[in-house]
Amino acid sequence: MPSKKHLHIESSGQLCIYCGACVGICPLNCIYLDETRITFDEKVCTRCEVCVKACPVGAIEIG
Amino acid sequence: MTADLTTDVLVVGAGPAGSMTAKWAAKHGAKVLMIEKRQEIGSPVRCGEGMSKAWLSDVGITPGRWINLEVEGARIYSPSEKVFEINEKHAGNEVGYVVERDEFDKQLAIDAANAGVDVVLKTAATSVLKENGRVVGVKAKRFGEPFEIRATVTIAADGFESQVGRWAGISTNIAMRDMDTCLQYRMTNVDCDVRYCDFFLGKVAPGGYVWVFPKGEGLANVGIGVQVSQVKAMADARNYLDRWIEHHPGYAKGKKIDMVGGGVSISAPLKQTVGDGIMLVGDAARMIDPLTGGGIANGCIAGKICGEVAAEAVHAGTPTKEFFQKYEVGWRAVLEEKLYRNWLAKEKLVQLSDETFDKVIDALQGVRLEKLSVHNILKAVNEKYPEVTKEFEAFL
Repeated sequence: MPSKKHLHIESSGQLCIYCGACVGICPLNCIYLDETRITFDEKVCTRCEVCVKACPVGAIEIG
Repeated sequence: MTADLTTDVLVVGAGPAGSMTAKWAAKHGAKVLMIEKRQEIGSPVRCGEGMSKAWLSDVGITPGRWINLEVEGARIYSPSEKVFEINEKHAGNEVGYVVERDEFDKQLAIDAANAGVDVVLKTAATSVLKENGRVVGVKAKRFGEPFEIRATVTIAADGFESQVGRWAGISTNIAMRDMDTCLQYRMTNVDCDVRYCDFFLGKVAPGGYVWVFPKGEGLANVGIGVQVSQVKAMADARNYLDRWIEHHPGYAKGKKIDMVGGGVSISAPLKQTVGDGIMLVGDAARMIDPLTGGGIANGCIAGKICGEVAAEAVHAGTPTKEFFQKYEVGWRAVLEEKLYRNWLAKEKLVQLSDETFDKVIDALQGVRLEKLSVHNILKAVNEKYPEVTKEFEAFL
């Protein structure tokens, strides 16, 4: 199985504004917003990159 | 250990749609519990704070200190900044009041509490409880402690990033073309006109618009929505907004004192918003107007219906998908046609070139429309630029 690309959500607050845009659009419902923490399920995520585009401030990177 | 709870109606999310649902369910005699994951209802604000006003009395909301100011109307700016002015009565569901959204949400929660609703803060749903395929409550965490809430009816009012509905098996997935990614600054020392909410269309905000909603004394919410399918690079929403501000001296001189972001669905209505034991309402049910991006009015209007049906289901002991058709049919009767029509209009508008936008707004200069409708606008445009209206034949 090919290894997945690296997905990084900068959720320490340097970029992330905890708005939930990525959570709402994730087609697999695998991103979670918990007040000031965003996590995603590494196993479920397919790296479709929709969240990267949905993030208004560029806090999600893939590559 | 946090003790498990039992209630008739559980509302997840204390935004406007949740509070309205909770209030009307309680008013109809149900025992209602409303949970909110945040520690403060309404804060942080994630909203442009523009709102129409005609609908408020219909759902039992009275004016209060949540009103920031009243505007006379909206001004729509074409890419070359020709302006079309619309009276507040005709301007759609984001124009009328500019509000203090945190105060508004708190007022609705207070109204709910006064109707008998129990409100519990700092409590997040983590999954749904199901028995024989029916939702019977949620697993939740309060101050980090897991516990269960059992309910006859569960309401998903958990906003754009709703997960409760999806956990229950109701599809709320949206395509990239059906979502706008939004960013807004609250700015001070800007030259805005307190009489108007301003909207800037075209390539300044692909698939969306830039808005300026005045807050008084040189303060304004200056924001942008960009269709996700038109995003080319990371942080495009911010980049487009910064660029717009840079090119408008009256705003470039302002200072940013606050920044909020979020997702707004601009989709056609969901096929289904109910299941056994569960109903979806507000942004969670994708009830946002796809043309304006306004969601408060629709969420509250549907919330009232949702609360009434929830209470009825409790009394009748029938929290079934079949029974909840009453809500499904009820909210659709009021909102669906317009949502669908505006979604079609949005699908068309996002394809327009800046040149066409300019022609449309230009054709409307000096025209006084009796009633603002897509049909009337197109009639006016047809007189000056018949070639433009060809693209819209379906609406004529």
